[in-house]
Amino acid sequence: MVSLARTIRNIRRVGLREWWRQMQYIGDAKSGRLVGTDQFGNRYFENTNPEEEVPGRHRWVDYAQHEYNATQVPPEWHSWIHHIRKDPPTQDPVMQNLSPPWKAPWIENLTGTRGAFKTYNTTKPKYEAWEPKAIPRGQSSS
Amino acid sequence: MSFVRALVAAGPSTGLAAGRITASRLALAYRWHSTQSPRDPLLTTEHKEHLIPEVQVRSPGARIYTAADEPGKDFDPYKDGPSAVDKAVHLFFFTEIIRGMWIVLEQFFRPPYTIMYPFEKGPLSPRFRGEHALRRYPSGEERCIACKLCEAICPAQAITIESEARLDGSRRTTRYDIDMTKCIYCGFCQEACPVDAIVETQNQEFSTETREELLYNKEKLLANGDRAEAEIAANLQADHVYR
Repeated sequence: MVSLARTIRNIRRVGLREWWRQMQYIGDAKSGRLVGTDQFGNRYFENTNPEEEVPGRHRWVDYAQHEYNATQVPPEWHSWIHHIRKDPPTQDPVMQNLSPPWKAPWIENLTGTRGAFKTYNTTKPKYEAWEPKAIPRGQSSS
Repeated sequence: MSFVRALVAAGPSTGLAAGRITASRLALAYRWHSTQSPRDPLLTTEHKEHLIPEVQVRSPGARIYTAADEPGKDFDPYKDGPSAVDKAVHLFFFTEIIRGMWIVLEQFFRPPYTIMYPFEKGPLSPRFRGEHALRRYPSGEERCIACKLCEAICPAQAITIESEARLDGSRRTTRYDIDMTKCIYCGFCQEACPVDAIVETQNQEFSTETREELLYNKEKLLANGDRAEAEIAANLQADHVYR
C-alpha cells in the first residue's frame, strides 16, 4: 500500500501469519512495539520511528473481535490511542491513581442490538390514573 | 410638491404644458395642497432672493483630470516587461501545467497520510467535548447537587432537571435528562457546574441507530461517568493548571 520495501520489511518483522491477520483488518503491513493488552484482548502497538510510520499513524490497535468496533477500546486505552495521554495506562501513574474502586466495566456501543439504551423516566409520575373504590351496599362510607 | 415648487421657480415664461396657467393660479393650487401658512416665503416674490444662497461654487471648470494628476499613479510597472500575452503563453500553457503535474507526481510516490480508523485514531485534546457524563466523588457519592446552573446556561435548552430532597436531607436530582439531539456540545454546562458533576468526556463514538437512544436520562449519564471516571479525572488533572 505504501511502498514495497516497507511492506517486505514489516512482513519480515511480524511474520506471515501476523501479516495475513493485519491484511484482513488494518489492510496494511505494520510492525511496532506491543505496548499492552486490555481486558478484552485488544492489542495496542506503537512505532515512534518516523522513518517507518507516518506520524499520526504511529499508534494502532488490533481488535480481538472479528466484528470490530471503535467503542471496544476501554476509556483508559481510548485516551492513549487518541494521543490524549503520552503513556499507556499500564505505565501512567495518574491514570492508575485516579481509577476509583467503584469503576464500572466498560460496555461498547450496543446500538442496533437488544442491549441498546432505551430511555425511561426517572421520576415519580406527576399524576396517576384514577382508581375507583366502590363501597359495597349496606356499609357506611365512613 | 416639488413639481409645483419647480414650476413656481421657473415662472410662467417657460410655458410648456402649463403655459396658460398663471403664477397666481399656481400659487393658489400650491396653497390648496400645502399645509403651510400663506406667508410662506416661497410664494411671495419679494422674498425670493432668500432662496438662493450667496455661495461661490468652485467648480473644476474645463480642466480634465487624469490618473497622472494623482500622486503615485503615473508609474507604469509593466512598461519594460513582457506583454500579458507572452506571460500567459509561457505560464499558463506550459510551465504551470508541468509544475502542477510535478507536485502530483511527488505526492504519488510519498506515503499517504490516511489514518486507518478505527485501528488508528487522530489526536484529541483533553478538553475535547464529546458525550456527557455525570461524575461521582471518590467516595462514590454523586456530585450533582441540582443547582440547575447547567440547565440555565444551556443555549439549546437540552437539559431538564427536577430535584427532591433525599431521605438524608441532601438535595439531589430525580431527573437529569439531556437530549443529545438538541445538544450543540458547547461545553457551557461543564463550565457552569460548581462541583464538576456534568462533564463532557472524550468519547465521540456514541452514535446510535435510533433517535430515542440519544435521549439520555440520569442513569445513563451516571453510568457513563462510572465507566470513564479514570479518563475524565486524568484529563481534568492534565488541564487543572490552566483553569
